[in-house]
Amino acid sequence: MTGLVKAELRKFFSTRLWWIMLLVVLAWTGLGLSLSIALAGMEGQPARDTVEFQQMAWIYGGGTSSFTMILGIVMMTSEYRHRTFNSTFLVTPVRGRVIVAKLVTGLLVGLLFGAAVMTLTAAAVIPATLTAGGEFSPFANEIPRMTAGVVAAITLYVLLGIGLGALIRNQVGAIMTGIVWTFLLETIVVSVPGLQEFGKWTPGGVTTALYDTGADFGFGAAEVLPMGTAVALLTGYALLFSLIASFTTVRRDLV
Amino acid sequence: MTTAIEITDLRKSFGGVPAVDGVSLTVQAGTITGYLGPNGAGKTTTLRCLLGLVAPDSGTCLVNGRRYADLPKPITEVGAVLEATGFHPSRSARDHLAIMCAAAGLPRARVDEALGEVGLAHAANKRVGGFSLGMRQRLALAGALLGRPKILILDEPANGLDPAGIEWLRGFLRHWAHELGAAVLVSSHVLAEVEQTVDNAIIIAGGRLVRHGSIADLTRGEQQIRIRALGDFRPVLEGAGARVTEGPDGVLRVKGMSIDEVGRLALNSRVVLTEISEERYDLHRVFLDLTDARTEGAHS
Repeated sequence: MTGLVKAELRKFFSTRLWWIMLLVVLAWTGLGLSLSIALAGMEGQPARDTVEFQQMAWIYGGGTSSFTMILGIVMMTSEYRHRTFNSTFLVTPVRGRVIVAKLVTGLLVGLLFGAAVMTLTAAAVIPATLTAGGEFSPFANEIPRMTAGVVAAITLYVLLGIGLGALIRNQVGAIMTGIVWTFLLETIVVSVPGLQEFGKWTPGGVTTALYDTGADFGFGAAEVLPMGTAVALLTGYALLFSLIASFTTVRRDLV
Repeated sequence: MTTAIEITDLRKSFGGVPAVDGVSLTVQAGTITGYLGPNGAGKTTTLRCLLGLVAPDSGTCLVNGRRYADLPKPITEVGAVLEATGFHPSRSARDHLAIMCAAAGLPRARVDEALGEVGLAHAANKRVGGFSLGMRQRLALAGALLGRPKILILDEPANGLDPAGIEWLRGFLRHWAHELGAAVLVSSHVLAEVEQTVDNAIIIAGGRLVRHGSIADLTRGEQQIRIRALGDFRPVLEGAGARVTEGPDGVLRVKGMSIDEVGRLALNSRVVLTEISEERYDLHRVFLDLTDARTEGAHS
C-alpha cells in the first residue's frame, strides 16, 4: 500500500493541478481575509481588537472546502478522462486497492492544503489583531478547535470529492454535481423551514459543525452537531461514496 | 515450449452485440503470434479481457496459468501496450513511468533504462501532451518493459509509427521473443506490418477465429491464375471445371487449373487474353479472403 500511495502522490504532484488549486485556495482565503480586515470596525463589523473578529476571520478558509472537493473530483476523474486507469489497473488489477490509495493520498493532500490555508490565515489575522492593540493567544478563544475544524473540512472535502468522482466518472458531470449540491441543494435545505432540522445532517450542515463556535454573527447561533460526530459523519459520507463506487462504477469494463 | 497465454472459449458482448464470440488461442514462449483482423473484429476486446480490464461473459483467459488479476506482481510477468492515449498530457514521460514503478514496487532505475530501450531518453522530461503518436507508442512500450516481463501483449503497436519506427519495432519484437524467450502476442489490422515478423498468425473477424496456424501453413494455399479476357470467358472456364471469381475491374481469378491449361483453353475457345499471370497466394490474400468472407457472412 505504501508503494501505491507513493504512486498516487507522484500522480498528484506531476501535473499542474496541485499548484493551480493551491493558488486558487490561497487566493480565495487571502481575498476574504483582506476584506474582513479592511471592513473590520465598520458598521456592524467587529473591530480588529475583538475576539469576535478573530473568530470570524479564523474560519474564513473553511469556505475553500468547495474547491478541495473539486480537487478530489479531478484526482479521481482525470484517470477516466485521460484513460490513465488503463496503466493504473494493469499495475494494480485489484481496483479497490487503488481507491483506498487515492483516499489516503487525498487525506495527506487535504492536510497539506489545510496547513497552507491556516498558515496564511495566521499570517493575516495575528498581525491585524496585534496592530489594533488586541490580544492573540493561540490556545484561547477556541482557536485550536477552529483550526482543527477548518483543516478537517478542507481535508474531508477532498475525500468527498474522490468518492463523488469515483461514482460519477465523468469529470464535468461530477464537478457540476458537486457545485449544484454545495451551492444549490445545501442552500435550499438550510433556508426552507421544514428542511432545516434535516439540514444539520447534510454534508454542508456537518461542515458548519466542524468550525462553528456558537458565536452569533447576527443570525442567531446555528444548531449544529458536536464536532466529533461531524468528523465521523463527513468521513462516513466520503467512505460510503467510495465504497458504493468500488462495487459499481469502478468495476466497469475499461474499453 | 511452455504455454504463456491461453484463452479458452472467450465470449464478450457489449449491449447484446457480441464482440468476441467463442475465441480460443494459445501463445507459446519464445514465439511471436500475430492477432490479425479488420477493425472491429474483436482484437482489442480479446486483449483487454486477457489483461483483466474487461470482464468476459464466459470463458477463461490465463497468463502463465493464472488470471491476470491473480498475478502477484502482474507487470513483472506481463507487459502490455494498449492504445497510445492512456497518458496525462501535462505529465512527463519520466513521471508516467515512475508512477508505474512506485505502484509496482520496482526500482526507480528501471524508468531511465526503459526509456533508453525504446529510444525516448531525450524526451524523458517532456510533457506527453507534446508527443507525436509514434513517441506515445514508444512510451507505452517502455511502460510494458518496466518489469522485464516474459510475456508481451501489444494492441496495434505499429499505429502511428513511421516506416523506420515499424522496422525498429520488428527487430525489437524478434529480439524479445527469439533471443530473450518472451511470448509475444501482437494485434494488427495491417497485415504488412507484422507479416515478416510473426511466427504464427491468428485471424479473427466478426468476433470469431477464422484461421490459426503458422505463417508457413497459412500461406501454403492454392495457386491462382489472374487473367483479363476480351469476351465472356468465365462460362468456358467453369464448363472446364475451374473455380472462377470475378473482381469488379473485370479481372478473373481462376483456381483448379494450371496457367498452361488456362492458356490452352483460351486458344481452343478463341478467346483473346489481354493479361495472364500466376498470382502468389500470399498471406495478404488469405487475410483479405478470410476476413471478407467472414464479414459478408456476418452481414447476410
